Amino acid sequence: MQTDTSPYLLLLVLMVGALLLALVPIGLARLWALTASPPKPGAEKNAIYECGLESKGDAWVQFRPQYYIYAIIFLVFDVETVFLLPFAVSFGGLSAGAFVAIMIFLLLLVEGLVWAWQKGVLSWK
Amino acid sequence: MTPLQICLLISSLLFAIGLAGALTRRNAIIVLMGIELMLNAGNLNFIAFWRFGPNPEALTGIMFVIFSIGIAAAEAAVGLALIIALYRHYKTTDLDQINSMKG
Amino acid sequence: MSSIDYLRLLQLAAPETFLTLTGLMVLAVDLIVGRGSAPGTRIILSGSVAATGCLLAAGGLFLLPVYGTFAAGMLVADPLTVLIKVSLVILTLFTVLLAFSDAAPLADPGEYFALLLFACVGMMFLTSAEDLLMVFLALEFTSLSLYILAAFNKQSPHSTEAGIKYFLFGSISAAFMLFGLSLVYGVTGSVQLPEVAAGLARAGNDPLALVALVMIAMGFGFKVAAVPFHLWAPDVYQGAPIPSAALIASGSKVASFFVFAKVVVIGFGGAPAAVGSGAAPVWVILLGIMAAVSMILGNLAALVQVSVRRLLAFSAIAHAGYMLLGILAGTEGFGPLVYYVITYGLATVGAFGVVSIVQARTGSDRLCDFAGFHRRFPVLAFCMLIFMLSLAGIPPLAGFFGKFYVFAAAVKAGSLALFILALATSTVSLFYYLQVLKQIYVGETADASHWEPVPITVSVALLAMAFGVTLLGCFPDLLLNRITIALRITGF
Repeated sequence: MQTDTSPYLLLLVLMVGALLLALVPIGLARLWALTASPPKPGAEKNAIYECGLESKGDAWVQFRPQYYIYAIIFLVFDVETVFLLPFAVSFGGLSAGAFVAIMIFLLLLVEGLVWAWQKGVLSWK
Repeated sequence: MTPLQICLLISSLLFAIGLAGALTRRNAIIVLMGIELMLNAGNLNFIAFWRFGPNPEALTGIMFVIFSIGIAAAEAAVGLALIIALYRHYKTTDLDQINSMKG
Repeated sequence: MSSIDYLRLLQLAAPETFLTLTGLMVLAVDLIVGRGSAPGTRIILSGSVAATGCLLAAGGLFLLPVYGTFAAGMLVADPLTVLIKVSLVILTLFTVLLAFSDAAPLADPGEYFALLLFACVGMMFLTSAEDLLMVFLALEFTSLSLYILAAFNKQSPHSTEAGIKYFLFGSISAAFMLFGLSLVYGVTGSVQLPEVAAGLARAGNDPLALVALVMIAMGFGFKVAAVPFHLWAPDVYQGAPIPSAALIASGSKVASFFVFAKVVVIGFGGAPAAVGSGAAPVWVILLGIMAAVSMILGNLAALVQVSVRRLLAFSAIAHAGYMLLGILAGTEGFGPLVYYVITYGLATVGAFGVVSIVQARTGSDRLCDFAGFHRRFPVLAFCMLIFMLSLAGIPPLAGFFGKFYVFAAAVKAGSLALFILALATSTVSLFYYLQVLKQIYVGETADASHWEPVPITVSVALLAMAFGVTLLGCFPDLLLNRITIALRITGF
């Protein structure tokens, strides 16, 4: 094996192979469709295929506002990790005061969650 | 170009794109996205100045960014809540139609 | 890394901590005790907890002040900031008392009062910040609370509209400010105000520093509603629930102007932005233009308003112009500015209180709705007379001395043209304030329906504010001496 080729060359070859594997069957199917089966669209044929079940309604439904409230609460706890990460990384060298401080921070967030829970935000009706 | 200049160029572009989005779009949610872009442009600046600045030992820049990410998230949360409230009243998020008060 | 003394932090931030805990307690009380009660009971319940908390915090700040600096300017407690904090808490207290009125049908009183307290905490942190990170954080904390407060009345489309407009303008200007701050950090390598000043002085005529200054001025210009960043103000003042509008007009303005002045005077004061050319620094020109345009546009637009809340909004824009004169006067104008902003806040909350009484009983706040107010509530009409004349700057009320000292400082600092403009527009402003009073005292109305009496807390709050405005007007030294001493100790 030659050593002066880039180590990424193999990856490139694999990628091209993967692309071909994906595209060739699709291309063959297209070719087959064009030559052997002329298009005859109908209501049944154009229906959305859902594993044999009749599809209900449109995909463009409106979400309930509750969904967004979930999203907002999620957002808060999602971004909380931005503060937890530095805390976790430097955990070994922290003083007791710093530990209490971050616990107070977490406690405030938990309070928010409890409040939302008590307000009935978390239950779907 | 130095890496700092490239970063500043990108962040300025980001800021300009965000501002353009915030000022020209009528959909409140897209305006919100534009604002987030602008905030992130500021964050990128902070990181760039911190990394390529004279004293990257002081963590000022990165601290500012961590907190402003938190702020941006809070802003997104409040903004989304306001947009939901808006939608309940007007059945639209088109900002051009929201002008019931005139002086 | 130096370790942080958390006990010291707790000691310095005790009032803020206390108010935050009060806010959480208000939430808990409303949730646990108030559940299932009538809305009126819940308002009184959570409102009185909030009011007690404000009273205790103000008393604690006033009687047992703790002075010191934490973490190189992140939290500074000196006599001056404590004075501002006391006035902020008192303004919040009056706002809380106003919310007892039936003007805003509050669906969730607990959340409303808690947010008022949180906004106050944000403003207090804002006053004591000498670090740009803390300035930005506190500014955003205050703004976020105020956005929700503005949109709090979920039944009213106007309130929601006010909230979303406030939010959109506010967050765009916050983004500008963050970008400006990042440039300041890039130019000076620091976010602590004294070091920023040194860095800017070193940077000299750096165009990056100029861009940063303009962007930061935009951020603050929005908060204080100075032209051309004022577009949100009329809609928010008109659409938001009245206590929210009152807090936005008073407390938020006090804190923002104080920190604006601090950032400009400490941070940018040493910035010789036009080094060698002999001209004024760029920020002086910038603020001068903002002040002039605010005075002209605010006063002229207020002349044609029909809604009293919109009128107050444009008058607030005009006052922002006058206050900018105080910032322009530099260290000389600092004391007068503080006096002016505090007395202005007091009179504005009072005026909003009277408007809320009228709006609750007529359903709107047009000038003609005030007709005959004198016959129905003579004492409250007199209070309104005091607030309006103080805003117009008639001696011997507090507003007169505020304007007098600020204008005098402006003349001393050499901005004669702006001084003349301020005098002229001030005269114009008398006209629209008198319009309101004319309706109250001599306006004719065919409506003879009975108006329900005003809740006792609201009348007490209004009387206290009118008394305060008169007292500070007759004896301005009561406040001004404190400010001067505090300034001397702080070293301005």
